[in-house]
Amino acid sequence: MITISIDEKACVSCSLCVDICPTKVFSFNSVKDLPEVALPKECFGCLSCSEICPSDAIQHTGAALSSCFHHDTYCTNIVSKLAVSEPASFEDIASATGLDEAMRDISVRLLSVGTVLKDVVGAGLPSVGLMAGRSLATQLPRYRPPKNLEEAFELAIKEFAPAWGLEFKQDSDNLKVCVKECFVRGLCKQENISLGGELCVLFFNYLSGYLGKMSKTQLKLVTAERSAESCSYEVKIMHR
Amino acid sequence: MKATIATEWLSGCSGCHVAVVDLHEKLLGLLENVEFVRIPVLMDEKDYPEADIGIVEGAVRSEHDRVALKKMRSKVKTLIAFGTCAVYGGPSGIGWLHESSDVMNCAYRSGPTNSGTESPDMNAVPLEECVVPIDEVVPVDIYLPGCPPHPYFIAAAIKAVLDPCAPRITGKPVCSDCTRKMRKSENITLKRGELTAEDQEICFLSQGVVCLGSVTLNRCLAPCPKRGTACSGCAGPSLDIVNEPQLDIRTLVAKRMNMLTGIDTTDVTSYIEQNAKTFYAYALASPAIYKKPTVEIMEWTGETTKLN
Repeated sequence: MITISIDEKACVSCSLCVDICPTKVFSFNSVKDLPEVALPKECFGCLSCSEICPSDAIQHTGAALSSCFHHDTYCTNIVSKLAVSEPASFEDIASATGLDEAMRDISVRLLSVGTVLKDVVGAGLPSVGLMAGRSLATQLPRYRPPKNLEEAFELAIKEFAPAWGLEFKQDSDNLKVCVKECFVRGLCKQENISLGGELCVLFFNYLSGYLGKMSKTQLKLVTAERSAESCSYEVKIMHR
Repeated sequence: MKATIATEWLSGCSGCHVAVVDLHEKLLGLLENVEFVRIPVLMDEKDYPEADIGIVEGAVRSEHDRVALKKMRSKVKTLIAFGTCAVYGGPSGIGWLHESSDVMNCAYRSGPTNSGTESPDMNAVPLEECVVPIDEVVPVDIYLPGCPPHPYFIAAAIKAVLDPCAPRITGKPVCSDCTRKMRKSENITLKRGELTAEDQEICFLSQGVVCLGSVTLNRCLAPCPKRGTACSGCAGPSLDIVNEPQLDIRTLVAKRMNMLTGIDTTDVTSYIEQNAKTFYAYALASPAIYKKPTVEIMEWTGETTKLN
């Protein structure tokens, strides 16, 4: 059973926990000016009260933490080394960063999203990938935009690792993109899907939108070769 | 035998070192157990002596910072990232959004109070291209954010390092130490650009003023909201925001304000986005914040125009 304790000293009497709880576990004691756990058996551990609580005054014991959510090891490392007094639940999270489970979870979603996008937008699929790639280029913060294509390539190799292993060979306006490690290819192999489907189209255009936005060029696909080990794309660079 | 402490300051304001001195008479109690072998604010020791505890203040901004930090790490057993700059990059993290040459120009040449002729590039160590928290350069054992951390937490953290059985310090947000009461209120509009509110007993969020207390780690004992100014988030994001990828400063504040006053969440989020350099000032350079999928600092601050 889940037990809930309220740190009465930390509580700021906002009663947001009373409002947000889907099963009405809390009631507000207006005499003490504090919330009380009125129906503890109703709690099913959604932790929405803990999330909304401005002073982190609500503690649950016995609630199953959703360890399959992926937690960044960089962030869990900071949290585990803050010398704080109630690290138990955070230590659980830090030990289970759940990368494999998160990857499996993403795989399923990616496959279904790809299929839905193809059905809905049809021939507009490359544009969807392109737009997503362009927004990635503006979203990832970097201390300065790359000055030329080479810098953009370096950055792309860094940003896409380790799920993707990219190689770029540029000969004036002709570019060869070699994709060695590929998350999408692994997924296709696992699910027995032939290469060159909607996910491949989405990924290539995503990459080209990302590179194009960063290097202020447009990349136009000439030929594409796909195999079980690596895929390569011949690309023409169009300067804007 | 006394444990030895060495400290070093990198790119910071030295306020964290002053906070160590602010331990006042507690410092005497502390000195029964520890001995400072290097502390730039109190003694003249240029070398890096061996020590049990190393305390580093400030972010890595110049080549000097990187070299000094690596030397510190090689000489100390336990390294404490001390202050928000060391842990999350601090306010100088806004340098991420500009080229370092622009930063130098603005500070030394083109500013309204500068003569425009002098530049510090003769003897000064050159800036690196970006600001990084110290844990991107060397491994860190304990993080103690705060701008500066309150002496209460400094003493507690040093005790926690020396004695594994010593009580740990709080992981709650600033609100947990704030004396204001959070109440529901009606007919409240968002007060843009305001840092204070009329009622001294009631929470800022209930009065329509954006206060970051509920999304900021308590390393200060809440002096600002207790004395009438909204929290600016100087100790960096609270634990849930650091840990959970889907939680973000602006959305959590907006949700709480919406539930308390009925102000539209998009009003609050767009206000915070417009002033991202203020509301995200302290942890901008940390991957814990800028790698969040919902944080688009470049977009909000208009710095993407450089990319177009």
